Amino acid sequence: MNRTILEIDSIRKRYGATHALNGVTLSVESGELFGLLGPNGAGKTTLLSIIAGLLNADTGSVLLDGQPFRAQNRELRRLIGIGTQDLAIYPDLTARENILFFGDLYGLNRQVLSTRADELLTAVGLQDRANHRAGTFSGGMKRRLNLAVAVVHSPRLLLLDEPTTGVDPQSRQLIFTIVKSLNSSGMTVVYTSHYMEEVQALCTRIAIVDRGSVIACDTLPELLRLRPSRLKIKLESPNERFEKRLGALDGVQSVTAVPEGLIVESDAIGPILPRLAEACLEENVTPRAIELNESTLERVFLHLTGHALRD
Amino acid sequence: MRAIVTLAVKDTRLILRDPRAAVILLLMPILLVLVIGVTVGGAFDPNKKEQLRISVVNLDAGLPPDAGDFPDRAWSQFLLDDFAGTADIKVELIATREDAQNLVRSGERAVVIILEPEFSALIHRCSFVGEPLKKNPINPLYRDGMRTQTVGVTVLRDPTQEVAAAVVEQVVQVALMRVVIPWMIGQAFEMIGTPAFMDKMKKYVAGIELLPPSLLKSIGDAMQKGISGFFVDYDFQGKTWAKLTKSEPPPVKDSNRTAYQSDGTGTIRRGAVRYQTLVPGYTVTFAFFLVLVMGWLFASERRHGTLVRLQIAPIARWQLLLGKLLPCLGVSLVQGFALLGVGYLLFGLPLGARPEWLIPVVACTSLAAVGLAMMVASVAKTEQQVSVYGTLLVILLAGMSGSLMPRYLMPEEMRAITRITPHAWSLDAYAQLLTNPDPQIGIVTTACLALLGFSAVFLSIAWWRLSVSN
Repeated sequence: MNRTILEIDSIRKRYGATHALNGVTLSVESGELFGLLGPNGAGKTTLLSIIAGLLNADTGSVLLDGQPFRAQNRELRRLIGIGTQDLAIYPDLTARENILFFGDLYGLNRQVLSTRADELLTAVGLQDRANHRAGTFSGGMKRRLNLAVAVVHSPRLLLLDEPTTGVDPQSRQLIFTIVKSLNSSGMTVVYTSHYMEEVQALCTRIAIVDRGSVIACDTLPELLRLRPSRLKIKLESPNERFEKRLGALDGVQSVTAVPEGLIVESDAIGPILPRLAEACLEENVTPRAIELNESTLERVFLHLTGHALRD
Repeated sequence: MRAIVTLAVKDTRLILRDPRAAVILLLMPILLVLVIGVTVGGAFDPNKKEQLRISVVNLDAGLPPDAGDFPDRAWSQFLLDDFAGTADIKVELIATREDAQNLVRSGERAVVIILEPEFSALIHRCSFVGEPLKKNPINPLYRDGMRTQTVGVTVLRDPTQEVAAAVVEQVVQVALMRVVIPWMIGQAFEMIGTPAFMDKMKKYVAGIELLPPSLLKSIGDAMQKGISGFFVDYDFQGKTWAKLTKSEPPPVKDSNRTAYQSDGTGTIRRGAVRYQTLVPGYTVTFAFFLVLVMGWLFASERRHGTLVRLQIAPIARWQLLLGKLLPCLGVSLVQGFALLGVGYLLFGLPLGARPEWLIPVVACTSLAAVGLAMMVASVAKTEQQVSVYGTLLVILLAGMSGSLMPRYLMPEEMRAITRITPHAWSLDAYAQLLTNPDPQIGIVTTACLALLGFSAVFLSIAWWRLSVSN
């Protein structure tokens, strides 16, 4: 088995004058829970569609388990499962019939399939609604069934495109649990979302995509290091000497004079606090406000792109 | 193979769970056949065509024993031959007076002519001359034509259809005069020169009684010849209209003379001829409504996103198409046989002399319908597009083909154009099998081959369209 299950090299895709993907290069290791984070229209769905063989790239290549992926290669297609952004289930079939139908298409043994359907229905919390038509389900239930259908054939690579769109918090939590469980069972997951909290909570490695390009790709701690947490303290400014003293403290990024006093900013939250406290005590200065801007992917994204993730 | 079966089973299940399919493919054609059959179904009687129908009950007992050498058959046959020999007139023979009375009473016939048992005997007595030259003579003529009752003709009229009745009565009057007047002239002309005639002449020509009988006969003969020579264009002894006018007798068209067929029974006119046109017509029309069912299946795969799943599943495109085509073909076959079955059981549609040939006709029609449906499904992207454009196409083809209204009502040029539709070929085959007592299997086979050709063309276009769109 190849260690790298998915290698994407210099993928470009245009829709008319719009460049959907501008030379995307990525690799996903087997067993990873890989996140694709980016705003709507960043090119995430286009990238997943190319990986799944639903779209042809203009240039570039996709290697799946070390082999060039062609949509015609049915054996390689078996390796992939997809949870599409839009639901992809039959509303007039029951939950169980949906799972059995797609399992049948992948040629699963009927007995194995029946057991698998029961397992999946239980896993996604639909065992009590197994024989109800999917069209009668709530949005969250449909999403969960959509996920069950995507993994009925136990794919090695699961592509999830915004799997929590329009679901209630309870279903969202259940989907997270299922995704984590699938990943821990060895399934590689590529998880796209424009919700940075989801990606941050789930993914071990994340690619940040914007305007058709991967602008950063690393583990979560490394990405967060691009824009660490920042402490902002507002103080009185008794004299110019105090302002200089603060500016000279190790770990202080900036000291800015404002009409009400000073604003001190620092990324070294742990070490700077006792030093600041000591200086304030000596000058008898009381902090007026303390603000902590935690390091998040949102801030990293803003830092890297100059615009907010939800723009 | 398993993938195809899986897809086919799934689509069959979806079709069965969609009430629209059953309503459009089965319920609508049955209801339409029923409603049109009951309301204006008579217009769909292929025997009607554009001919004037003269309904006759012939009770004529024939010529009297002393009728002589002429005529050689009953006078009623002369009259019926005259009708049948007239272009665009169709004679319909009704068996009994009671049947005729019922038909007129119910308004199904505007007028029925009854030739009474003494018809031939009375016609035979018609004469320009009176006693003693003619025994018991009858003068049937009067200012407006013939006194029909005087010659044993009873006219039953529907008082609500006076105009239609008047037209038929005028036709009957003319035909009767063409039969009776040459007979009356011939008899009169033959009398010229006979002793009885010459005897009458004594009253008007002084001294004639002095002439010997042989001379009188010669004079009589000469008078006959003289008159004949004067009126060279006529043969006054002909006794038939053709001979009197020295023209060719009209060909007797047996096809213009048919026995009355009861136009069905009960409220829905079960067994009426109209159903031989309506049932196949609507069976063919609604076979092509499969376009909607199949189009919806494809469009809903797109709408529900499941087409994406099918595209990434390890199945080939041909398997996917075959998996979708088979259930639709199955539905179409069930529809075709079910509608014919309903036609047979509910509407009393006779299945003809070669019912086994209905199987390939239904099958080939279904294949053509599936082909067209697949073609539309490959083009239309949404269910709205399928509904709007699919319905338009199906109605247009049905209207052009003659499956909505009988082709014999269409202008000649339009009948030729119908051949560009698969419907027309299917209707040809059904017409042979359901209407023709001696079905021409060659025509049926040709129609089936044409339908298969349509199917192949449609499916090729669908395959090409799906390749391009992918």
